[in-house]
Amino acid sequence: MEPLTTEMMLVMGMICVAVFLFVVEWVRVDVVAILMMVSLPLLRLVTPKEAFIGLSSNAVVSIIAVIIIGAGLDKTGIINKLVAPILKIAGTSPSRIVIAISLTVALISSFMQNIGAAALFLPAVQRVSKSLRIPVGRLLMPIGFSAILGGTVTLVGSSPLILLNDLLAPFKLEPFGLFDVTPVGLALVGSGIACFILFGRFILPRGRGDAREEDLSASPESSTLDEVGELYELSTPEDFTDYREPVSIRDLQRRYLVNVVAITEPPDYKVVNPSPDLQVFSGIDLVVCGREKDARRMAENEGMTVKDGLESFKGELAEHASGTVEAVVAPRSSMAGKTLKQLDLQDRYRVTPLAIYRQGETYRSEIGDLALRVGDALAMHGTWKRLQTLQGEGSLLFTTPVDVELMRPEKAIFAGFWLALALVMIMGFKIQLSVCLMTGALGMVITKVLSIDEAYQSVDWRTIFLLAGLIPLGIATEKTGTAAWIAHAVLGAIGTVKPVVLLAVVGVLSTVFTLVISNVGATVLLVPLVVNMALAAHTDPRMAALVVGLATSNSFILPTHQVNALYMGPGRYRSVDFMKAGLLVSVVFLIVMIGTLSMFYGV
Amino acid sequence: MAIVTVSRGSYSRGKEVAEKVAARLDYTCVGREVILDASDRFNIPEVKLVRAIHDAPSILDRFSHGKQTYIAYMQCALARRARQDDMVYHGLAGHLLLKGVPHVLKVRIVRPLSERVADEMKRKGVGEREARSLILRDDEERRKWTQTLYGKDPWDASMYDLILRIHKLTVADAVDFICKAVGLEQFRATPEARRRIGDLSLACDVKAALVDQYFDVSVTSEFGNVLVFTKAGDRMAHKLEEKVKVLASEMEGIHNVEVHAGVPAPEDAV
Repeated sequence: MEPLTTEMMLVMGMICVAVFLFVVEWVRVDVVAILMMVSLPLLRLVTPKEAFIGLSSNAVVSIIAVIIIGAGLDKTGIINKLVAPILKIAGTSPSRIVIAISLTVALISSFMQNIGAAALFLPAVQRVSKSLRIPVGRLLMPIGFSAILGGTVTLVGSSPLILLNDLLAPFKLEPFGLFDVTPVGLALVGSGIACFILFGRFILPRGRGDAREEDLSASPESSTLDEVGELYELSTPEDFTDYREPVSIRDLQRRYLVNVVAITEPPDYKVVNPSPDLQVFSGIDLVVCGREKDARRMAENEGMTVKDGLESFKGELAEHASGTVEAVVAPRSSMAGKTLKQLDLQDRYRVTPLAIYRQGETYRSEIGDLALRVGDALAMHGTWKRLQTLQGEGSLLFTTPVDVELMRPEKAIFAGFWLALALVMIMGFKIQLSVCLMTGALGMVITKVLSIDEAYQSVDWRTIFLLAGLIPLGIATEKTGTAAWIAHAVLGAIGTVKPVVLLAVVGVLSTVFTLVISNVGATVLLVPLVVNMALAAHTDPRMAALVVGLATSNSFILPTHQVNALYMGPGRYRSVDFMKAGLLVSVVFLIVMIGTLSMFYGV
Repeated sequence: MAIVTVSRGSYSRGKEVAEKVAARLDYTCVGREVILDASDRFNIPEVKLVRAIHDAPSILDRFSHGKQTYIAYMQCALARRARQDDMVYHGLAGHLLLKGVPHVLKVRIVRPLSERVADEMKRKGVGEREARSLILRDDEERRKWTQTLYGKDPWDASMYDLILRIHKLTVADAVDFICKAVGLEQFRATPEARRRIGDLSLACDVKAALVDQYFDVSVTSEFGNVLVFTKAGDRMAHKLEEKVKVLASEMEGIHNVEVHAGVPAPEDAV
């Protein structure tokens, strides 16, 4: 075996630093990646060109294109419209609900980022749980796991698979096609769902249903938005301010749990989504959003008159101008851990927060002091324009489309066309993945499914830099011979093994790595390593790399995956719940993966 | 019309002042009655309640939280009485237990130590040294009590509306001053003031119903919108939520109730 050089030791040192930072999370994972991008050329382990080659890599460009295509589909509202019919098909039996939603989520996440698919169904699942008295913990985990498994169905489903072809390039190995992984992916999704249907009662936490008597009337398809109530227009009497302390909008919220979404200021300025400090004067009109009983209680106590419908604010609050939406706090969101008071949505975006929906409970009172958590759904009222600005900021995943004028359902056909074209190009013409996908993305922009600015805004730079920053680490591992050295050392230690055993070992190794460091990090580190191992052991190196790409989605035992992190709070899961269910699913994952790989690719 | 709380040390003649004020204004004079109410309602021996409200919390109390429980019961009983207005309360910590209520006149009666010692000597038939140390120990105990539970010093003048020193002023003078103050506009029981005491009483009721199982809860109520604050984790908070929901359906006057876990309780929470 070759001797260990200083460069190899430096690379190993950098790998250790990266792993250490991934584990302790002193800085965010994407920052770790940028650190690698900068420090590797400084240590002369890669050339400056190689350091930034990740940014122009096939993988990064593909992911940008996939995100834009996903955003385009989102804009047409097709995906949001899936929720209601899927729930109808699901019916009332827990198994059917799990199967129907899981399959849908898996399908969506095979083409989009899986966190989006997971968030889309979160509020819906919580409502189903409440109205059918099925503990939410029994539904969310199978659905979350399916979202992760769905990422293995196509080569663009998850970051590790997108990366794979780039990592194979230095070895001059044939790249994978878009649907090369589909048989394995489908088997994995199927086996994952089957695990929960067959063994759900043993591996899922036993909780009680959240339902109470009065909720039985609520249909599963109804939304949290029904719980925040309707809009009521009221007018204050002429003597409203006589002989009393001034009443502000905040006072009305605290006393009657209604949110003022529009008010006239004397003489006749109309203010939509007013500041809570605004004073309520005599003889003015105001529109509140709240439950009917609260609105009536306020009218009675304060001597206001409730109008039959919207009158003064008919135009401002019409459906095409403003509305009430629900959005989920995303993992890694800058909003998590902050209170609404600190975020000051009212001042910064001019939207009125109405309620927070957390773990089956609706919070209406003094919600400004509640620290938001990942998975919380937030109901807000605002004009579509302002809500869209908030959506563009990216901390919240909107489950109700911020819609009407800004939604383009009529563009659905174009969106579908460009997606199909990209797929045909990939499958039929053997053009590089990134080129095909970028063509689809460009097509969507040209046909105005989304504007180019919207396309730029939709790109998640955290993911881009995480991918791009770790690629040089992979290059350095390969170039300095570190990967080959470790591979030989490992093979020397375990001796000669059968290809299947080697792949199984690779699978287990990837699973362990993905749980501790991110899936992208695991892929970048392991692919050069296992390709070298496979070459030395005379096994197909492409299969070894594919095992890494797939098994890095095998992230179920700890709630480290984004989707698991999102569902942990709302599902009231503890880490031990993930260990119990995740262990079974992980083992089944490895067996099914190796089994189908040897069946379809004859390992 | 108003509520008067009289805070005092031992042998400061505060009780006498309170009784005379009540007699003059035709108010009810409440002292031990609150303890009896609480003892009746929550089935706790009177002696335990007295100890809870007098002795400073011991190290053991930090674990058993018995003291918080008893104090919640007493506060609940006191707030109920206060709902009827026209009351003079001369028990312990009235100014702290009825916080946030606008029409409470908070009075502190003090008296020079030498006179208090003399009274103690006469009453108990002990020597001066012993009497002095008894009184000082009693004062210290009360100081510790308010310090540990409310983080306030009972001798902090800023907590009271009126501090009267019975020395040059006689008891009758003090009664005059208090009665005059009660007549002021600020201490009139306005509808807003009545609403506040109603909310305080509701919050106290909710807290008293929860405190034996969840000692760390704090409760606020505003216009019948009850908020329960707890430091407990998610699972505990969820159990608490279910209990609170049941409570809300049983208690009158609650419009909405929510449990806010992990949120620091506001100043005015009980």
